[in-house]
Amino acid sequence: MSRTLFFVLGVLSVFVVALGCGTDTSTSPVVPDELGRCADFEPLRKPLWGDTHIHTNLSLDANLQGTRTSQEDAYAFAQGAPIALQPYDADGTPTRMAQMDPPLDFVMLSDHAEFLGTIRTCLDSDSPAYENPTCEQYRDALEFDAPPAEVRTTFVQLNLLLAAQPDNAQYPALCGPENVYCLEAGMDVWAEIVDAAEAVYDRTDSCQFTAFAGYEWSGVPGAKNLHRNVMFKNESVTDLPYGYFDEPYVEGLWARLLQECIDAGNGCDVVTIPHNTNISDGIYFENKMANGEPFTAEYVAARNAMEPVIEIYQHKGASECLPGETISDELCGFEIIPFSDIAATNLEIISPPDPTGFLRYAYGEGMKFEASLGTNPFQYGITAATDTHVSAPGFAAEDDFKGHGGAGQPNRYLPPPQGFPDIEYLSPGGLTAVWAEENARTAIFSAIRRKETFGTSGPRIVVRMFGGWEYPNDLCNAADLVEQGYAGGVPMGGTLDPQPGSSAPTFVVSAKQDATSVPLQRIQIVKGWLDGDAYEVRVYDDIDGDSENGASVDLDTCAPQGEGFGDLCSVWRDPDFDPGQRAYYYARVIENPTCRWTTHQCVEADYDCENPTTEMDADCCDPTTGLNVDFCDAVDCSDTNSPPPVPADAQCCKPRVEPVIQERAWTSPIWYQPPS
Amino acid sequence: MLRPLLHFFLIGALLFTGRVVFQGRGGDPPEITVQMSAEATEAQVEKEIRNQILLNEARRYGWYHTDPIVFTHLIRNMRFIEPDSTDDDLTLFKRALEMKMQEHDPVVRARLLYRAREALAHVPKDRMPTRDDLEQHRVAHQDRFEREGKLRFEHVFLSGTKRGEALASDAVAMRTQLADLGDAAPQGLGDPLPGLRAVQSSTASEIKANYGEELSVVVGEGVIGSWRGPVPSVYGVHFVRVLEKEPSSVPALTLIEAEVRANLLSEVRRELSRERMEALREAYVVHVERVP
Repeated sequence: MSRTLFFVLGVLSVFVVALGCGTDTSTSPVVPDELGRCADFEPLRKPLWGDTHIHTNLSLDANLQGTRTSQEDAYAFAQGAPIALQPYDADGTPTRMAQMDPPLDFVMLSDHAEFLGTIRTCLDSDSPAYENPTCEQYRDALEFDAPPAEVRTTFVQLNLLLAAQPDNAQYPALCGPENVYCLEAGMDVWAEIVDAAEAVYDRTDSCQFTAFAGYEWSGVPGAKNLHRNVMFKNESVTDLPYGYFDEPYVEGLWARLLQECIDAGNGCDVVTIPHNTNISDGIYFENKMANGEPFTAEYVAARNAMEPVIEIYQHKGASECLPGETISDELCGFEIIPFSDIAATNLEIISPPDPTGFLRYAYGEGMKFEASLGTNPFQYGITAATDTHVSAPGFAAEDDFKGHGGAGQPNRYLPPPQGFPDIEYLSPGGLTAVWAEENARTAIFSAIRRKETFGTSGPRIVVRMFGGWEYPNDLCNAADLVEQGYAGGVPMGGTLDPQPGSSAPTFVVSAKQDATSVPLQRIQIVKGWLDGDAYEVRVYDDIDGDSENGASVDLDTCAPQGEGFGDLCSVWRDPDFDPGQRAYYYARVIENPTCRWTTHQCVEADYDCENPTTEMDADCCDPTTGLNVDFCDAVDCSDTNSPPPVPADAQCCKPRVEPVIQERAWTSPIWYQPPS
Repeated sequence: MLRPLLHFFLIGALLFTGRVVFQGRGGDPPEITVQMSAEATEAQVEKEIRNQILLNEARRYGWYHTDPIVFTHLIRNMRFIEPDSTDDDLTLFKRALEMKMQEHDPVVRARLLYRAREALAHVPKDRMPTRDDLEQHRVAHQDRFEREGKLRFEHVFLSGTKRGEALASDAVAMRTQLADLGDAAPQGLGDPLPGLRAVQSSTASEIKANYGEELSVVVGEGVIGSWRGPVPSVYGVHFVRVLEKEPSSVPALTLIEAEVRANLLSEVRRELSRERMEALREAYVVHVERVP
């Protein structure tokens, strides 16, 4: 460990300068030289849809849950092909399929780095570790009818290594002296991952699909989630996918990526994307470096440069804000999972999440660090993703949810799920959109670096936001809104400098509904600012649209009811602006109400709550189902003759989650920096 | 997919091929008897026949004895039924075979069927595609590699939200205004909409995803040079003028070599599987016993 820390300290001293050079901070639509290879090049940028968080059978948790589909299958699914879903029958025939329309524009597959080499080692009969008991146990667990308890044990024994404290993080013992077996195997797998992305990346001028090489760094010390997805700009990558066992501190990961990628002089570039800060038990934004000391100026600069965006929402819930924290914000209740860390999520142990693990807290702390250390380490742009563990990128529809596995319900065993296909607290996840000149790696990666991104909870709501000082009040009526937006200010993700003589910053937010979803209801702007040392937040509601539009949903049919808006646009000037206060502003675009996925399932199953007769899922004693914990508490699993006294329709008739949601889009913020 | 499996499959494929050739030279044909229920359909019977042939081949090549997953699975079974046994793994394994445990175990069956199918699909070196093969495949199956054609068009939009009840009359006025433009560009006309561009190049699929089916159909008709509309969508109404049609095209091999290679190999594997399976099916003497 001391070796790692020494290494980290050594490279952090040059980190800031190097990253500063590599960062695309431009906010005007100037066309860099390397862009322009696509026929549909658009200098004013267009929205492209993607998913940057997907697991396939290369991930330990996915393949033990019965995911057999490969990276190639995932890429095909993202482009519109059907994909097989578990459970499979004895002949290897899948019992379920999934398909998505429209396809995605770009994808980064992010299989867990830590066990890529271990899995390959255990399946390679030429490996010296092949006969290792752990490998034998793992191979047994992959068998068609391996008992669920044995699979669970195998998974926990291996995966528990990720929950070790950083100083104790280590490869499985089977990896041999200096972990050489797994390191070598891991290099092979990583090379295949990069090749797979290359094979599907459309290098013609049609530019129909873009794939990025990447992986997930999966450290969860003490079960507190610190995961990051590592996304490379192009085919120039590091030799190894550095995981938690290689670099147990994120500073170590950044240092590796800096030295072996960004500083390598071969065109390599890379970012790390945090996610699920909601289940970090409050440590994700903790003011503590690897050596236990508070942040330094070098650290905050490194974090700012290395982590331009964050995943605000995915399968394991939203990380935006907690209801009741900071201010009253009713829309903070969206997809909050009631778990404090990853273990509680896996085991469904209800435990209140820590509000300091949420983005709204981080935005405030970030501005404080900026004031004291010169750089905001939490100046995150916004993305969203699925975190699917069934190789289904972008499969985020509420009305066709088939479960994502991972921390959710595995669905490995026959028969196919008779009730909910996932733990009811979890959800289908969301999508990332970028404003980029073309569907190609350089353009998309640059958009992520400059944070001209937004996330949605699934629907393809398109939102654009600019901040400036002199936008006209009728900008929403101007056909050249975008040209004026760039010329007079910065897009989402940018930073506004002080403007002497101007009264207050002005923001233009325009949005359009997903053509296949329900209309929009309203646009909000969320503002946070520092008043001295005090962090304040305010939500400006209905800057366009109408929160009282009366829209609703018929819970018997899931049919949406009431009117809404196909598009919304507003020019909004901050009425409370103080030029001496640091601030950020982001927009939330809210859809009319729709059924949550759980409600869709119940409607399709046609449950009669007045006369419950159908058993939805009574298998309380199967540890792989993870369902119905409340009434399962009363079940004696040691008494196999006693069927669980589960109410037939408990999940549908006594739902533990909100039956109705309001899907949404979140823009990256625009920050304001006062004069120094 | 995995090195050890490939190793086994390579050997298996060679053995399969050799056996079929050998049988073709007049050796005693192998026989199997398949028991099926009286209600089974012909398709179910044929499926089971083919599975039994593959399992018999696996048996003939000794995969029951050599497959590592079968080995560990049978030992685990034996340790379950003989928890107090102090015998070593090999002894237990032999005893499992003596008990014919492998004949009825679903895991062993699934494993060997999987391995046999992979062996059937193994691509020998002399069938690996050359660059010429790839080019021929690209040309012969252009539909698989085709990039959807694009249409470059001008786009004027009127927002239903902004214009409300005036939308219909505004649309009539806009139609007249556009007709009067002649060839001039509709500079500054219409309302903005995120992602909408005055001139854009898109596929019909992209237009459908962004604006709905109706606009996709109108633009997709590709009538060049005249304004079409108003076309309704969930956003309001649209007017479009197609400027240029770029037909669908098949990229050069250098640009899509990896894609073509993957597609061809998949086809070769399917063909090899079919050929080898048919050869085996022909070589076998099969007896079907219908049981109640």
